[in-house]
Amino acid sequence: MKISKLLVGLIKYMFVITLVVISVVPIVWVLMSSFKTNAQILESAFKLPETLNWSNYFNAFKIAPLTTFYINSIFVAVFGTGMNLIIIGMAAYVFARFEFKAKSILMLVFSISLLIPNTSVLYPLYVTMNKLGLYDKLQGLILVYIGFGLPVTLYILKSYFLTIPKEIEESAKLDGAGFLRTFIQIILPIAKPGFGTAGVMQFLLCWNEFQFALILTSGNNSRTLPVALSYFNTQFASNYGAMFAATVIIVIPSIIIYAILQEQVVSGLAAGAVKG
Amino acid sequence: MEKKNRLWIAIFLLPSILIFCLIYGASVVTLFGSSFTEWKLASKLEFTGISNYVNLFADKNFLKALSNTVIWALLQSTIHIFIGVTFALILSKKEFYWKFARTAYMIPNIICSAALGMVYLSIFNPKFGAVNNIIRALGVEDFSQNWFMDYSSAFFTVTITWLPFAGVVAILVLAEIAAIPEAILESAKIDGAGEFKTNIYVVLPLLKNIIGTCVIVAATSMLKNFDIIFMTTNGGPGNTTLNLPLYIYKTSMLENNYGYANTIGAFLILLGIVMLIVINKAFKLGQSDI
Repeated sequence: MKISKLLVGLIKYMFVITLVVISVVPIVWVLMSSFKTNAQILESAFKLPETLNWSNYFNAFKIAPLTTFYINSIFVAVFGTGMNLIIIGMAAYVFARFEFKAKSILMLVFSISLLIPNTSVLYPLYVTMNKLGLYDKLQGLILVYIGFGLPVTLYILKSYFLTIPKEIEESAKLDGAGFLRTFIQIILPIAKPGFGTAGVMQFLLCWNEFQFALILTSGNNSRTLPVALSYFNTQFASNYGAMFAATVIIVIPSIIIYAILQEQVVSGLAAGAVKG
Repeated sequence: MEKKNRLWIAIFLLPSILIFCLIYGASVVTLFGSSFTEWKLASKLEFTGISNYVNLFADKNFLKALSNTVIWALLQSTIHIFIGVTFALILSKKEFYWKFARTAYMIPNIICSAALGMVYLSIFNPKFGAVNNIIRALGVEDFSQNWFMDYSSAFFTVTITWLPFAGVVAILVLAEIAAIPEAILESAKIDGAGEFKTNIYVVLPLLKNIIGTCVIVAATSMLKNFDIIFMTTNGGPGNTTLNLPLYIYKTSMLENNYGYANTIGAFLILLGIVMLIVINKAFKLGQSDI
């Protein structure tokens, strides 16, 4: 009895440890390798780098216009998140608080977006962006990402608004606050945690999205970081060190944001999944 | 006052409606409309009825992409879910390491998947990759499997870049376990059920809904799976790792066969809806948002 219990415990630990190791070690390995020279990388896969050698990072920035890509990515993530929260937040508030004729139909129509894998509309969206003159423009990517984030943001914010007691608005109304003032001065401050959750999810979407960034941009002026990686993959495949450095540069912000805002990510994922 | 509110309601809804129409509405109309046409780079759009749909089933690449997509969806909704649920059940005992393990296990799910593709490409690199070096160090000299490029291993290798990483499943299930009333678990204990029995007969049935949701998320995620495959095998060698998203990309962007690409897109949406119905039926998911 005791031995079998021990064995089960051991298997459980092994299971958890294995999964944690394969989740973390590959990324740590890439981080470690990013400080090695090409020769050291080829010589031994596991030797620790002797010194913190930053030359791969300088090289990466020299080979590809990473600075531009970085600025593009930040620009897309900041505006893609901010505008998504404002636009969808307004709709979510109305859905949570008011009754109007088209409400259920509109909610149903918005839910359709859940049934559409983004990939399926690859070419139609490409055409739309071209027609709007937004091909190869950061504004185009921002617009697309605002749309992609619609279902999750709408769901998270609507649920959050529903948790706010109605009495708060009623007393604001008695004090003479109008629709807009109630929303901005009363509701928004209370709903900050909801916006935090939705914002983190939307930020990660904008920062990580690859497929549409790939097809909607062509020049260096509007490419984002994930697309820059495919650049290294095809054109500079032999410069391993720079390739590792570029990978690290892209991955680090997501990990930092996740580490700081873990609870938001967890609840955001929960909301997003229940939705899907 | 009421009238004024109606105006504000309209103003608040309008931007979202515009975005929706632009990104989804127009796209879906174009998608289904042009799936009945021949539409190529230098030729005029021409109505061809359902011939695109008929052609799909004579297209070897499409059939391969479809079967890969379905196989991956099946693996994802079984093995992936099993791994995630088991992980969550172990962590739910809240031993000292549970928060750390939960956080670490999530990392592959929150970073850029194109970058993740790059990481795996390096890990499995035949020359300097960690995997081959470990195998060599274990005594298999001159081991030089080209994991992503070899016919024998490509499918397996891309599959394990996502199959074991069920961090999202684990988090969702953990949250659900935390919501199980303490009294239920207590009474199982009093009745003499051990940990294993409690998990199988008491906890798992209570998790039916969330597991169903996870299966939907996991299965449908395979309908959008593009980044890692694009970065690693790009569907190759041959078409061994081709899936529907990648085939849509290749057909539209590289071959400029737009009408046909949109047919595949339309098919992908229908496939998703079928999956949703089947999984909902299988789990008898009561309340559904859709």
